[in-house]
Amino acid sequence: MKRPIRWTVALTAALALFAGLVLLPFWLVLTGSVKAPAEIIARQPTMVPHSFTLDHYAKLLAASDYPVYMMNSLIVASVSTLITLLLAIPAGYAFFRMSFPGRETLYRAILLAYAFPSIVILIPLFGIFAKIGLIDSRIALVLVNVAFALPFAVWLLRSFFAGIPAEIEEAARLDGGSPFIVLRRIMIPLVAPGIAAVAVFAFVTAWTEYVFASVMILSDAKRTVPVGFSGIIGQYQIDWGLLLAGASLSILPVVVLFAFVGRWFVAGLTEGAVK
Amino acid sequence: MKLPRTLLPYAFIGPAILFLAALLVWPLVQAVVLSLQDVRSVGTTGKWVGLDNYREVLTDGTFWSSTWLSLVWVVTNAVLQTVLALLAALALNQNFPGVRIARTWIVLTWIIPTVVVVMIWRWLFSTSGGIVNPLLIQAGIIDRPVGFFARPNTAFATLVFINSWRWFPFITLMMLAGLTRIPGDLYEAARIDGAGPWKRFSRITWPLLAPTLGVLLVIGTLLSFNVFDIIWLMTSGGPAGGTRTLPVLIYETAFKSYRMSEAAAVAVLATLFLMGFAVVATRWLARPPEAR
Amino acid sequence: MTRIRKPHLLAGAALTALMPLSAAAQTELTLWHMEQPPHRVERVQTLLDEFNESHPDIVVKQEPQNWGEVYAKAPAALAAGVGPDMLFAIPDFTPILKSVGALTSVQDFVEELDGEHDFIDSAVEAYSYDDGIWAVPLYNMSMNLWYRPSVLDAAGVAVPTTWEEWAAAAETLTADGAYGMGLPANKQLYTDQTVYSVMANGGASEIYNEDGTLRFDNPETVEAYTFYNDMLQFSPPDAPSWTWGEAEACFASASCGMILQFSVISTYDTQAEGDAADLGVAAIPSKDSEGHNTIAYANAVMLLSQDEEKMEASKTFVRWLLQPENYGRFLNMEPGLFMPVTADGAKADSFWSDPMVEKYKPQIETVIENSQNGMLFGFTSGRVFPAIAAISAQNVLAETLQAIAINGKDPAEAVAAGQARMMDLTD
Repeated sequence: MKRPIRWTVALTAALALFAGLVLLPFWLVLTGSVKAPAEIIARQPTMVPHSFTLDHYAKLLAASDYPVYMMNSLIVASVSTLITLLLAIPAGYAFFRMSFPGRETLYRAILLAYAFPSIVILIPLFGIFAKIGLIDSRIALVLVNVAFALPFAVWLLRSFFAGIPAEIEEAARLDGGSPFIVLRRIMIPLVAPGIAAVAVFAFVTAWTEYVFASVMILSDAKRTVPVGFSGIIGQYQIDWGLLLAGASLSILPVVVLFAFVGRWFVAGLTEGAVK
Repeated sequence: MKLPRTLLPYAFIGPAILFLAALLVWPLVQAVVLSLQDVRSVGTTGKWVGLDNYREVLTDGTFWSSTWLSLVWVVTNAVLQTVLALLAALALNQNFPGVRIARTWIVLTWIIPTVVVVMIWRWLFSTSGGIVNPLLIQAGIIDRPVGFFARPNTAFATLVFINSWRWFPFITLMMLAGLTRIPGDLYEAARIDGAGPWKRFSRITWPLLAPTLGVLLVIGTLLSFNVFDIIWLMTSGGPAGGTRTLPVLIYETAFKSYRMSEAAAVAVLATLFLMGFAVVATRWLARPPEAR
Repeated sequence: MTRIRKPHLLAGAALTALMPLSAAAQTELTLWHMEQPPHRVERVQTLLDEFNESHPDIVVKQEPQNWGEVYAKAPAALAAGVGPDMLFAIPDFTPILKSVGALTSVQDFVEELDGEHDFIDSAVEAYSYDDGIWAVPLYNMSMNLWYRPSVLDAAGVAVPTTWEEWAAAAETLTADGAYGMGLPANKQLYTDQTVYSVMANGGASEIYNEDGTLRFDNPETVEAYTFYNDMLQFSPPDAPSWTWGEAEACFASASCGMILQFSVISTYDTQAEGDAADLGVAAIPSKDSEGHNTIAYANAVMLLSQDEEKMEASKTFVRWLLQPENYGRFLNMEPGLFMPVTADGAKADSFWSDPMVEKYKPQIETVIENSQNGMLFGFTSGRVFPAIAAISAQNVLAETLQAIAINGKDPAEAVAAGQARMMDLTD
């Protein structure tokens, strides 16, 4: 494809702008985390570190349970993702491949749940969880995260299911497959990109959630990364080096994860997200 | 055990519906109950006061100014995110070396915890070690450091920027989805007809992308209305209440003023607003796939 | 000091030996505190390990919390029956837990400890009202004026003692991209503290009359606010979003000539020059230099357990913590920030022998001396009205400042509106 020069220039400029917008903050955080304290808060910030130290990381890992927070976050996010998928896939299948009375009403009810101001249920939910002994448990966080991710997940699956030609399903059914088998053997492989997208969405929702985790979790051993991170911010003093090291470390796992699944997520979203 | 065919769909959607009912609807019912009482701190009991809290809230200027701020918040976020995302999506829809890497990693800002986002920007915008002020001074836009969170308007605008920074890549990908679905031969035909790039955009891209934009606008509205943690952690609704949107007001009333019931009333009203919007908007989203 | 303590240890050991204890009979206690920075948590853990070691029948574990969340979390957790047995507090926090019925008076216990260690009176006063004492004071924090002598010398200004000198010094120091006086204007606790520090030095320390009616709206208060607002012009432009951390960073990077802060010692030592000779601390200037006041926060621990055995165990722990040889190390979880509230603690070797404390001894002595004049809004002169909790939870002092500094309201009007707001909040 040929492009006139001025469009190439415009494109390059736009790409540079977005690259700067997205990457510059990360560059500053990562390089900041190895700067000496005085350089981090210097009146004239430096783009390239003039000093180098790993003290902030050493302090972070020695004195806080960062690896534990990370483990908790991984557990909570993974389980949330799994349950979201388990609930969303059959629901999506029924909503978009079957017809039944009340379908539209129920689908709209699910979408309404998406419009839910989450802060509204913080207190009542705390009371309910307290009654059934779920306060200070990772299960509570999983439940909350699934509730927040599920409506969007169902909606996201919609065009994937809708895009499957009816004949394929019909053929499988004529071969004597029960709906469960049709779902498992035929549908799931066909909507795999959509499932990838839903999985990443659910994972990120859980990984980044802060408010509920901060109130529902009481003990240090069960904290997730966002709550653990807010813990090192400190009340009367801020140790920016420590914070930047903490920020870098909490970015790292999702970046690694995304290096593996990012392509599918993007492919999933772009193939079927919006119609 | 064999389920009758007619019940099967309900077996498939049942778990999801029940789950949402237990986790969202039931607590909401409790919030409504709470809003009809006069509970102050968590854990104390109150007596029934009917609609007093609603009367109190609706006659209070704070509630209306928060509602207004929420409205402005939603609109400004929608505009900024749409513009950024559209530009980014158009750029990423081109062919250039590294386009796949760029498409994948643009979502970097979305996959990091909000607490971390807040901390990063708090540092970058500060006058102690922050890069933003020196950059703007170098670019000649300002001549001395400014306090981005010092005035209600700039604090609000800065928060809109930070929130959009976090969310626009996600919207970009959804738009990219819309763009990739526009058949390439349409452009080819237009080019043969001698249509310039702008004409191709306004005649083909825009009309075909508009439905996508509509859907994204609805989603974006719902997403940004609910943003609480970024605002709370960054400004706590300040300065001078300039960033106190409805979710912030709810939290503040409940946990800073210790008026749980009043907070619940605000929450119920906010839910009504949002549901009203959603009911209208989902007419669009909820059209069954076959009907399209 | 250790020698005096020995009989206690022996007695404790003897007692332990006498009681047939199995692991199942251990009393487990949960301690919530808001000292979350990792090195503080580490120090607390060291002390807990020692305590648990020497008290086989009790196990104390800590769960550090965040001040930002604990206001929501603690009442909810207590109501749900999953709250802590011991919870650290500042004076404004205690009335909130008292109002949900979570507290019983620990008057007898505090009197017992007072007899042994001699508490600073103001620290106890902050928790004494409604015919009871509701928490055990643990450590003190008070605001001071921090500066670098070399910077003041270079600019030819003396350490200010009056408001007039203070404003002049701030003006002189505001040059070359530096700011003379870093003062916050955020709607946040730090601003409450600095505003009140200025008020207390301008004859406006009392927010209440003796009968419990508000007297916030008075000419002295207005004058203090006017002065504070004038000083803000010598403060960095992002001061309206400051919390303590930004102020310290501003001072550490030498962007701010002076700041008001509890202590900058550890930040100065780790993030700035760390030259003990060039760190100055002084009492906050007063309107007419007669008698310097400051805000003082006596932090305390609330004993929340409803279970008698756990309550006793909690007391055992607090007794142990306040023993001079443990107490100093506890305070030094953040050297130079937390000051002793007991007479024997102020003399304890364990406090003064910390390397950081040794290095900054003159500064710390000044801080302790200044804290003698410490007071806290709503908890002054025996006029303690727990309703202040609502006022400080909403940061009305800071809110009033914002009305002036950000919305440009006339100070007199803003203060009057502030009093109306206080009445509204405490009705």
